[in-house]
Amino acid sequence: MFERQHRLSRLSVTGIVLLSVALAIIPFVATTTGLRQASQIIISVLAVLGVNVATGYGGMISLGHGVFVGVGAFATGYYLDDLSLPWLLAIALGALTAALSGALVGLPALRIKGIHLALVTLGMAIVFQPLSKRFPKITGGVSGQGVEARFDAPNWWPGDSRMASAVYRYLFCVLIVVLALWVTWNIVNSRFGRSMRALRDNDTAAAIYGIDLVSARVTTFAVSAGLAGLCGALQVLLVPFVSQDKFPAQESLVIYASAVVGGLGTIWGPVLGVLARTGVGKAGDLIAGFDGLGPIGDFFSLLDESAFVFGVGLIVLTFFFPRGLAGIGRKRQPSG
Amino acid sequence: MDLVLLLQRIFDALFNSAIYSSLALALVIIFRSTGLLNFAQGEMATFTAYIAFVLLAGPQPRLTGGGLAGLIPGVPFTVPLAIVGAVLCGMAAGAATERALIRPLGGASDLALVNITIGLLLATNSLMAQWWGTGPRIFPAIFPSGAGQHFTILGARLRYSTVGVWIVLLSVLILLILLLRHTRVGLAFRAVSISPSNAELVGVRVGSTLMYGWAMASGFGALAACLSANSVLLEPNMMLRVLVYAFAAATLGGLDSPKGALVGGLIIGLSQTLIPAYVPFIGFELSVLPALLAMVLILLVRPAGLYGTKRIERV
Repeated sequence: MFERQHRLSRLSVTGIVLLSVALAIIPFVATTTGLRQASQIIISVLAVLGVNVATGYGGMISLGHGVFVGVGAFATGYYLDDLSLPWLLAIALGALTAALSGALVGLPALRIKGIHLALVTLGMAIVFQPLSKRFPKITGGVSGQGVEARFDAPNWWPGDSRMASAVYRYLFCVLIVVLALWVTWNIVNSRFGRSMRALRDNDTAAAIYGIDLVSARVTTFAVSAGLAGLCGALQVLLVPFVSQDKFPAQESLVIYASAVVGGLGTIWGPVLGVLARTGVGKAGDLIAGFDGLGPIGDFFSLLDESAFVFGVGLIVLTFFFPRGLAGIGRKRQPSG
Repeated sequence: MDLVLLLQRIFDALFNSAIYSSLALALVIIFRSTGLLNFAQGEMATFTAYIAFVLLAGPQPRLTGGGLAGLIPGVPFTVPLAIVGAVLCGMAAGAATERALIRPLGGASDLALVNITIGLLLATNSLMAQWWGTGPRIFPAIFPSGAGQHFTILGARLRYSTVGVWIVLLSVLILLILLLRHTRVGLAFRAVSISPSNAELVGVRVGSTLMYGWAMASGFGALAACLSANSVLLEPNMMLRVLVYAFAAATLGGLDSPKGALVGGLIIGLSQTLIPAYVPFIGFELSVLPALLAMVLILLVRPAGLYGTKRIERV
């Protein structure tokens, strides 16, 4: 299980080709609004990837990653407007701030484990909304606030319409997400990644082999929170408005559910989880849109709220595909 | 410090304390027997409060949401009867959850159990939002709670509803203790709580005993939701914050100690009212923060809480 997984399987190559084609087609067929929505879906991979790092690879259940997305978004807005930092620096610092807050949560995670950690992170997810209302200067209080700075295409970018800017933002988001996936893939296959997984499977044995539990756990949580924070920072880039009402506890739980549904401990998991979330929402809209289905149509209007499907999906997958969607296409093998 | 005001705040806190205690009891009963934290407890309880609401309203689709209106009898229930009905529904739902979702997993990993309960939480929460909307509903009071309806003790007002909630809670508790001490099911439940494998060896049917445990726990949860729905307004997220208080209470008392749940609920309820009153930054809404911090601190320093069993772990 500790062998390097650098060679890609045929299934993965097919997946990468299909996704690249889809990503390349989207800017040609979508409207500016559609493109922004596509970008928002694409960056949500980062938050799910964050959960995957903490829970899937690190073995620490986190039900509160929406908090780190929120910290990333609020911090980026603050760096942009109050400190007038340039975009790239603000995004980087936003993600770093989230990573630091993640390290803070990682510290108690040294002693609080398993189901108790799930409890604490769930509490965190519930407390975040009222807490962020208490800092109106940064968060805009109850109603949120706009961010002045705009992420527009630079001069050398062809075309200067709104569409050109939207395409620029879209490509920037795709680039960041691909980069983040690539970096995470390398981290989990590095020496550090192996120690992370060793910790997950048996921390006593890991400690005997000389792994520093403290730094490994804290770093894992920081990396995972940083990824979620990056998602928050890019949210500000796409929609220059920060508000606490984007971060209810349910959002954290749906992020967690996406990670589990996609498949924990696999690099494809977050992508599949987000695709499932999107697909389920769209399918629900489609079925609810038909007239004359009566109660069936009523029921499928539920699917608008991906929370319902993900709740049920979480239960069903736990029973039948404990390794998530990414585990379905794979041969049965010991977890690792 | 104004002593009458302090007494008044304590009296006000007692109402919430009772609610937190009963939800904490629900969590503890399940943790003690099944070893899992039921994150969906709050949502399951809220759902039963909606059932009580539907029973009270009678067949009025506008009020009750289309889905369930057809199922209810033509005559509206009275408040206590509706709450009894809701508690019974809650108990049935709890038993069904154990039978259908928990038992088949058969002692799976923490991760699987968290997934199941979080799945239940999400599904129930969005189902309620879909059926009854996210707007708050007015839930009638079971105890007289008008302007003048209170005892006056040393100048402070002790509301009838507070006394009533405690009477209900304590009588249900006494009933539970009698059940545990003097019936075969109670004996079986105590055996399973101590050691499921040993209980099984001496012929206790562990599965169905756990099912009774879940029914009991969900009954407590339903009671908490129905009794508090009047003061906090009925809405799908009603119990989400209450759940944090209840978990803090259960952790403080020791996650496997029913006595601890009661004491923990009392302490958390008091601190929830007293801390915001004397620390202005923590307004009413942020009073979950001290509860969460207390929970983290207890888990760090003394994971067994006040009355819980110490876990021995090889280091």
